[in-house]
Amino acid sequence: MNTPPDAAVDSAAIVPFPLDAGRPEGDDSASQETQLLLRVRDQRDRAAYQRLFDLFAGKVQGYLRRTGLDPADAENILQDIMLAVWQKARLFDAQRASARTWIFSLARNRLIDMKRSAKREYAALERFHQETADDQVYEEDMLARAAGSKSVALLSHLPPEQASVLLMAYVEGKSHREIALELNLPIGTVKSRARLGFQRVRGLLEQAS
Amino acid sequence: MSITRHPDSAWLIDYACGNLSRGFELVVSAHVMACARCAEEVRCAERLGAELMLGSAPAPARLTASGIIDAEPRETAWLNGRPRLATQPAGASLQSFVDAYLDCGLSALPWRKAGRGLQIAKLRAEDDERLWVLRAAPNTVLPHHGHAGSELTLVLKGAYFNGDTIYAAGDLEDANETTEHQPIVTRDGECICLAATEGPLRFKSWPPRLAQRYLGI
Repeated sequence: MNTPPDAAVDSAAIVPFPLDAGRPEGDDSASQETQLLLRVRDQRDRAAYQRLFDLFAGKVQGYLRRTGLDPADAENILQDIMLAVWQKARLFDAQRASARTWIFSLARNRLIDMKRSAKREYAALERFHQETADDQVYEEDMLARAAGSKSVALLSHLPPEQASVLLMAYVEGKSHREIALELNLPIGTVKSRARLGFQRVRGLLEQAS
Repeated sequence: MSITRHPDSAWLIDYACGNLSRGFELVVSAHVMACARCAEEVRCAERLGAELMLGSAPAPARLTASGIIDAEPRETAWLNGRPRLATQPAGASLQSFVDAYLDCGLSALPWRKAGRGLQIAKLRAEDDERLWVLRAAPNTVLPHHGHAGSELTLVLKGAYFNGDTIYAAGDLEDANETTEHQPIVTRDGECICLAATEGPLRFKSWPPRLAQRYLGI
């Protein structure tokens, strides 16, 4: 497959699937973020961007660090993401996603690109795994409570084996196949844990909407 | 198009997180584009990702908003970190799939005969993963086989049976090392599928085993 030129990037959706239209997040902070991003997109509002930056930059950097990146690599990627928020805001479609989900998709796509272009496992990730494997769930739970994150707190209500599989997928970037290998579990067991945990969290997220 | 066979949530979570290798990601994305139910599930999985991201304890960074605003543009090819997507890749819009993913017509694919009524074209090979397009004539009986790893098969055109289950355009079959099957194409027309496989297939009879080396399946 050919790499599409930048023009093709602009015409292609960043969030590559049809999201349901106009559904409110139900969370005041999420809708405020979306309003800020719309002001950036439509009015090139520097003050709105400053507020978005203040809301997101530190947490996105924290997330990138949790995926195992060292501070310099994380900051480089953060720069790309926050640059895209300013320079490519025209690609944001509030009918398809909230600001926070769009920014998550930017981070996700940037991490995919990094993993593929480097074609290597980044060593920091392995260090991170070794250091945190045993305490992963409890550490995440603690971080979540400290950060007051509604949905991470929800994860803490899952059976530990389900929360652990979801965190390995979301934070460590491992596929269910890789998780099965690492935990030495049948693939079906890992899929069940991911499915059951996700169904539970999904129900709670939808209730919150 | 009525899609009745979907990937397990674990695949959709991996897709939302960007954890899949290219071949599997491409098969899942083609299904998701055609399937409103799975698109909604992916949307929720992304939303959870956003919440987890924002639940992270902040880490210090030296960047400033004004520095970003005044910065020169940087390379943004990564924005399109997904395979290119057609609006309707499955079923009747096979051509749009071909246009979007393959950058060439079906006839230009590197087809190889793989048995009576069956042609296969290998699109990608990376590590132990393969991405194929399979094209089978009506009533073709594929060899009975098992798997060394995961296999996702998306029907692009036509339909096939596995036992008493029918997979039609847009449906996705999710198989793995616990699965053995023998697809049989329906009599109504040719069947074209996109399939990602992990590791070699495990055939139950000798002729396909002998052909396996030649075809790399």
